[in-house]
Amino acid sequence: MHQFSYLKAKSLADAAALAKANPEAKLMSGGMTLLPTLKQGLAQPSHLIDIGGLKELSGIEVKGDVLSIGAVTRHYDVASSAAVAKAIPALSYLANQIGDPQVRNRGTIGGSVANNDPAADYPSAVLALNATIVTDRREIAADDFFQGMFATALEEGEIVVRIVFPLPKRAAYEKFPHPASGYAMAGVFIAETAAGVRVAVTGAGPGVFRWSDAEKALAGGLKAGALDALTVDATDLNEDFHATREYRANLVQVMGKRALQKLLA
Amino acid sequence: MAKIQLTVNGASHTREVEDRTLLVDLLRDHLGLTGTHIGCDTSQCGCCTVHVDGRAVKSCTMLAAQVNGATVVTIEGMASGDKLHPVQQAFTDCHALQCGFCTPGMIMATAALLKDNPQPTDEEIYHGLEGNLCRCTGYINIVKAVKQAAQTLK
Amino acid sequence: MSEKHAANRREDLRLITGRGRYSSDMNLPGQLHAAFLRSDHAHAEIVSIDTASALKRPGAVAVLTGDDALAAGYKHFPNLLTFTNKAGASLIKPQRPVLAHGRVRFVGETVAMVVAHSAAEARDALDAIEVEYRDLPVVVDAEEALQPGAPQLHANVPGNLNFEWDTGDAAAVEQAFKQAAHVTRLKVVSPRVIPNPMEPRAAVIGYDAAEDAYDIYTNSQGIVMLRWQFAALTGVAEDKLRFHLHDVGGSFGQRSAVYPEHGALMIAAKKLGRPVKWVSSRSEGFLSDSHGRGIVMAGELAIDKDGKFLAAKYQFVCDMGAYLTPTGTASHVRNPAICTTGVYKIPALYANFRVVMTNTAPVAAYRGAGRPDIAYVIERLVDQAAHELKIDRAELRRRNFIPLDAFPYKTPTMGVYEASDFNGCLTMALKAADYDGFPARRAAAAKRGKLRGIGLSTTIEGTAAGMFPKDQIAIEFNAEGQLEVFTVALSQGQGHETTFAQIVADTLGIDATDVTLRESVQGKKLEGNHTGGSRSLVGAGSICKVAAQKLIEQARPLAAEALELEPSQVEYAKGLFTSRDGSKSIGLLDLAKKHAGANPHPLNLMAEGSVAATFPNGCHIAEVEIDPETGVSKIAAYTACDDCGTVINHAIVEGQIHGGVAMGAGQVFGEQVMYDKASGQLLSGSFSDYAMPRAGWVGGINMNDHPVISKINVLGAKGVGESGCTASLSSLVTAALDALRPLGIHHVDMPLTPPRVWQQIQRAKQLQQTKAK
Repeated sequence: MHQFSYLKAKSLADAAALAKANPEAKLMSGGMTLLPTLKQGLAQPSHLIDIGGLKELSGIEVKGDVLSIGAVTRHYDVASSAAVAKAIPALSYLANQIGDPQVRNRGTIGGSVANNDPAADYPSAVLALNATIVTDRREIAADDFFQGMFATALEEGEIVVRIVFPLPKRAAYEKFPHPASGYAMAGVFIAETAAGVRVAVTGAGPGVFRWSDAEKALAGGLKAGALDALTVDATDLNEDFHATREYRANLVQVMGKRALQKLLA
Repeated sequence: MAKIQLTVNGASHTREVEDRTLLVDLLRDHLGLTGTHIGCDTSQCGCCTVHVDGRAVKSCTMLAAQVNGATVVTIEGMASGDKLHPVQQAFTDCHALQCGFCTPGMIMATAALLKDNPQPTDEEIYHGLEGNLCRCTGYINIVKAVKQAAQTLK
Repeated sequence: MSEKHAANRREDLRLITGRGRYSSDMNLPGQLHAAFLRSDHAHAEIVSIDTASALKRPGAVAVLTGDDALAAGYKHFPNLLTFTNKAGASLIKPQRPVLAHGRVRFVGETVAMVVAHSAAEARDALDAIEVEYRDLPVVVDAEEALQPGAPQLHANVPGNLNFEWDTGDAAAVEQAFKQAAHVTRLKVVSPRVIPNPMEPRAAVIGYDAAEDAYDIYTNSQGIVMLRWQFAALTGVAEDKLRFHLHDVGGSFGQRSAVYPEHGALMIAAKKLGRPVKWVSSRSEGFLSDSHGRGIVMAGELAIDKDGKFLAAKYQFVCDMGAYLTPTGTASHVRNPAICTTGVYKIPALYANFRVVMTNTAPVAAYRGAGRPDIAYVIERLVDQAAHELKIDRAELRRRNFIPLDAFPYKTPTMGVYEASDFNGCLTMALKAADYDGFPARRAAAAKRGKLRGIGLSTTIEGTAAGMFPKDQIAIEFNAEGQLEVFTVALSQGQGHETTFAQIVADTLGIDATDVTLRESVQGKKLEGNHTGGSRSLVGAGSICKVAAQKLIEQARPLAAEALELEPSQVEYAKGLFTSRDGSKSIGLLDLAKKHAGANPHPLNLMAEGSVAATFPNGCHIAEVEIDPETGVSKIAAYTACDDCGTVINHAIVEGQIHGGVAMGAGQVFGEQVMYDKASGQLLSGSFSDYAMPRAGWVGGINMNDHPVISKINVLGAKGVGESGCTASLSSLVTAALDALRPLGIHHVDMPLTPPRVWQQIQRAKQLQQTKAK
């Protein structure tokens, strides 16, 4: 790991000011991706601005028909929250499938969403649930937020404050974890929302994406077996030595089918 | 340089370290607590698991600066005097260790698992130990030890 | 078996309380820290290395390169394979300077070493070393490396072929194949794996100028083997190499050798006059620890009309990586040659082995070291033959087992088997596994949408005969008169402190807590073998018993003197010397304490013996369920019936089987070493890409034992460290194949990763559709 200066932000405003003053700085929430990246020498920030402890960025709240989760809320806190379990049980389940217990005790929802790893779990929920990403500058719809591999709508120094999830009627997530890393080789999140049925896929492609064929197949109502006949076009999916794009396409179909079964159970 | 004050296994320590110092290096190199091991550099193996403010974390993936003011428990702090922690006792009773290198992290992960879930099923134990690798035991006796510890702690 | 011995090993207390002492925990006063620059090119000429700016980095003290390695002459690694082939040719051993000189041959090869005041500073300074490379063509596959026109790694290894060796009777085999009613042929791979003991490699080496000697703290499998190898590499006399060994965090064959980093640290320690410490990162380990396996095996089995085996022949292509390690060649050639007949009576045998260089990390012994590989190809052949001949797999084995009255059985290649009861093991395992009830379990799985298969293996392996001709054990009494046992073996998790103490204590009839084992202690003039090849209990453990028996006889005259009797009037039992009439007695340990402080203590002794190879064997039965939608395989049931002779400590023996089976499961279902064909980069270079077995992969093992006591050693033990691995590769793969055969799939190479299995299922479906049309 190269040298850097550690800065502990005292407030959101302080964090923003520090980020502005240090253009080569990186924001750190849980550090579960950032620190391994630094250890591998893959990034050399001048400063780390630690926002992990900021109270104004943490907490879980259900108000009316939305669930709001502060950006630095840890995966464990989401997974074990009674409020989340009641409001969106699929989100509790998803949070409990991320990484491993030690990672869940440190990693945060805001960090995961801002990093937008193409195999991370949270982006699928954020996208399928039609959530809004609230930053220190504006509100961004999930459909606009995720822009491909590690790319988001966030501007330089913009900080995710919280994620606001409209409560769905029903939702379910199924994931096929990579046997070594635990990241999703394919994860499918199906949500029946006020805006219709939305299906988001993570892990299989270069970034989280909506699976429009599945959404069309489910538009008339969530019926058992509705996804059984679908095939997934493998052309734009990931391929590496672990698995071919055809295998990943198959996983999307199978995980989608299983998510639907779970949702209907 | 970062000035760190923290409580480890009940004792208060203050150290000045480079900002990039990892918690595991603070524990091993600055506090001499070599029971916490480093088995990888990609946050996978869990050999470095310790408790920070009551939660299991991988101390290779936290900066020392992040634990300023925190309470840390390492494997050296698990036994009370001569009395082993029930998880430690279960590991030796069940032959849940061979070379012993993963063991401190495995014990810390197990203690944390049982705190969250005092009576885990086999599947829940597998899920709870996903962050820890062992190359010797095939995990069979580790799972047995988790169950024995759960009984003792009941 | 467990009820016979609780675990609670002697070594446990320090290990569960964080007081174990591993290599990275060692520190010497005044030490400096080293970091290695590793080649990021798989095959290239080193045009230039500029270390000037690295030396100017904060904390940097020295930078060493290949020039320093050549100046020291550290470039000849020893090799355990010393025999010649039929044409009289020896193994060609390419030079390997401990820091690369002129050329690099794999990604991860040590190119330069920075020594600095802290480890972080040493790593920082690596960035400032400038190396100019001129790339050369790369070959990462052993069969491709043998092709004409393949990139050549070493000038003295034409065609990348270091050694070709064959054993058996080729003519007899050809004759038998001509007469065969049926021939089964297979080509299978035992893929390369990375041992990954949980403790990364590490060393601290100091130089004592006054004595011209080195103090070495490192991970090891035993002092004698390591000392011999260090001396062979460096030319430093063995008595100038002082090893200070301690807890070892697993090994599995990976730590039996001296490594280039050791040599570089010695050069630096002498040059700088200060101890130098190095701790490998796991990422470095993936690249530069010795790898294991990596054998392409073709096998053919000739069978007569009654299902009797007539002959078998094998061709092994052994990928050794870019350089030879001390153990790799012997483990890939000699070890499999010993057991080419498996547990079967096969009258004619022939095997050909080729040892090949590729632009990959060097390969060494890995748990089983050639034994699981030969067992795998034999068992796959038998399984395939049973399928082709439509004979039940158990039945085909029974027709061909070496019968009880045939022992000692001299195999047509290299082995002489001691007595075993293969049919007894099989019968016990079949019953324990409820083999007959399998169809119902398969049907139940099918209802759940799963393909369930059952597979069995009946395997045997020769434990290491030992490179050093004798094993010696010393019993000594310390200043307090307490009994200490000294061995040159070194546990890396096998629990010697418990087991060896138990052997001595049981022989003497005293409490095991009164016996303390000291392993691989510097300055003890003992010979013997390191811990590897399932050998330590059989070798050193047996001599522990001999030593304890000798102690009784050595103590008898002193006891008699203490009791004022003639030695012949003194009897020994349960730790006590007693007069015939029972009126007078003295405890052995009390007697020892009486003489405490005497120099030397009159009861000190050394015992020795030569212990040959033993032949542990067993039958393992696995059931595997495959999810056809995802290709995921799960071990649904696993039964083991092992013959490891006399069991000294059941908990430890079970633990060895557990660990061995799980390692097998790792190789079968998950672990995949992938080098990029074009660049030679290691793609599977971290635990995020390399799937290690995790909790739950092997849910539980139904353990059984069917011992036939060994007559080769006084314990009657046969060794157990590698049995689990040897048996599980074939039991697990054939179980998966049994699940897949109804789809028309008869071969999948390891690892059976979900994508690979799924792909096979798709191909089979397409084939069936095409046929239907």
